[in-house]
Amino acid sequence: MSRVETFGSRWGLVLATLGMAVGTGNIWRFPRVAASNGGGAFLVAWVVFLLLWSVPLIIVEFSFGKRSRQGVVGAFAATGGPRLAWMGAWAALCAGLIGAYYSVVSGWCLRYLAAASTGQLAGSGSAEALWNRFNSTPAALGTQLLALGICVGVVWFGVRGIERVAKVLIPTLFVLVLVLALRAVTLPGAERGLAFLFGVEWGRLDDPSIWLQALTQNAWDTGAGWGLIVTYAIYMRSKEDVALNGFLIGFGNNSVSLLAGIMVLCTIFAINPDAQSQIVGAGNEGLTFIWMPELFDTMPGGGFFMVLFFLALSFAAITSLIAMLELATRVLIDLGLPRRRALLWVSGILLVIGVPSALDLSVFSNQDWVWGVGLMLSGLFFALAARAFGLERLRAEVVNGDGCDLRIGRWWVFAVGVLVPIEAVTLIFWWLKDAHDSDPAGWLAPFGRYTVGTVVLQWSIALAALWAANGWLARRSAATQAAKLREDGE
Amino acid sequence: MSANAIGVMLVICGAVWGGFLSLLVRAIRSEGNKGGGTPPRR
Repeated sequence: MSRVETFGSRWGLVLATLGMAVGTGNIWRFPRVAASNGGGAFLVAWVVFLLLWSVPLIIVEFSFGKRSRQGVVGAFAATGGPRLAWMGAWAALCAGLIGAYYSVVSGWCLRYLAAASTGQLAGSGSAEALWNRFNSTPAALGTQLLALGICVGVVWFGVRGIERVAKVLIPTLFVLVLVLALRAVTLPGAERGLAFLFGVEWGRLDDPSIWLQALTQNAWDTGAGWGLIVTYAIYMRSKEDVALNGFLIGFGNNSVSLLAGIMVLCTIFAINPDAQSQIVGAGNEGLTFIWMPELFDTMPGGGFFMVLFFLALSFAAITSLIAMLELATRVLIDLGLPRRRALLWVSGILLVIGVPSALDLSVFSNQDWVWGVGLMLSGLFFALAARAFGLERLRAEVVNGDGCDLRIGRWWVFAVGVLVPIEAVTLIFWWLKDAHDSDPAGWLAPFGRYTVGTVVLQWSIALAALWAANGWLARRSAATQAAKLREDGE
Repeated sequence: MSANAIGVMLVICGAVWGGFLSLLVRAIRSEGNKGGGTPPRR
């Protein structure tokens, strides 16, 4: 009897993948970065890179998963060749380590949802007071554990569990963000927020930093190049489309970002326009956990909308964390472990690795910096592995192969083969240069929070370990896959 | 709001949301043509 797990329908795959892509970055990072980088000029660049980074890489990921039916390590070995298994392991490592501190973020969202629901955020200063007495304390460990526990409960049941949860949470998340955006644009003075978000000084398009910020936002918040889409693509039906689904995920993700941008900026400008630069400059956590509750608290019916806001944020966080947990679990399954044992190992490791981030915000920021930039290298690796397989061949055999609903032209070959590598290398150098420029004296400090030295140190250790393990990883993945195919054939 | 900002809003929202909705409609139609779900009646 076959034990092949698949999504029950196309909509299961699309909703689960959208759940992976739509995370806290859409709600807490996009509005802030759009507002800080010229509004309309940033948006133009952001749409351009949706088509020149996110969608091409999402299509690559779907192709790898559909063709190999293995997690990200096995997919790289099966598609790019056994010598490239370490590249897949790099993607898995980045996503796994991000999952460790992302479980902390998910816990914060759940804590604030509980606080909003019980009226603890009412009154000026209460959100900041909660942040100060909760963040970096053992209580944050408790909510981290709760978030991981919820996700383990979903991934325990495999792809069926993921599909069932995504079918409820993702449509609800879309509705919540839409309701919040509609409420925000109907507030008196909201048009100032729209004018700020969509106003363009065309001259600012000459500024390379706007383009690089737009590319970064696409690299971080669509999930392209993380290996998460490969993981869900394993469970595609055999005659499932690749390209149309890839476009759907990219545009769906950015649709939520745009709604979130309108929601956040209209709320800020309607309620406290004088503090807009202070709010936008408060960072992800400051904007979300201190300023947004303050703003909701002063608007009519704000308590209710505050609950909706943190519910949306929690749904976005949990569905993304589920994907990260499934990615790492699937890698261990491919190495020979049964699903539930693999899941317990992964969740235990993520919990332990996440503890320092839960207890110390400087560790959290360091990990976000090191592995966030690591994702850009991961995107480069996907492009290189696709090139090693042959982009024309991948396009003909998989992208435009069985079940294709949207034929992809040669532009995709150029985008993946030429543009994505250039974009990835440019981004990595730009971010490292930014770290150098922000601390010219201490940029090489290996234990600094935001330094080039800490990136070099942590990447070197990880890359050395993965290179050393490459042969074993490739052999183990191939052996498990061969055994699975034999079993499925019987 | 300036005419400039209104124009950009229409173009960006049209491209992103319009793109998403048209892709969704296309996917629904493709799924219908593939005959997924309930088997046809004889």
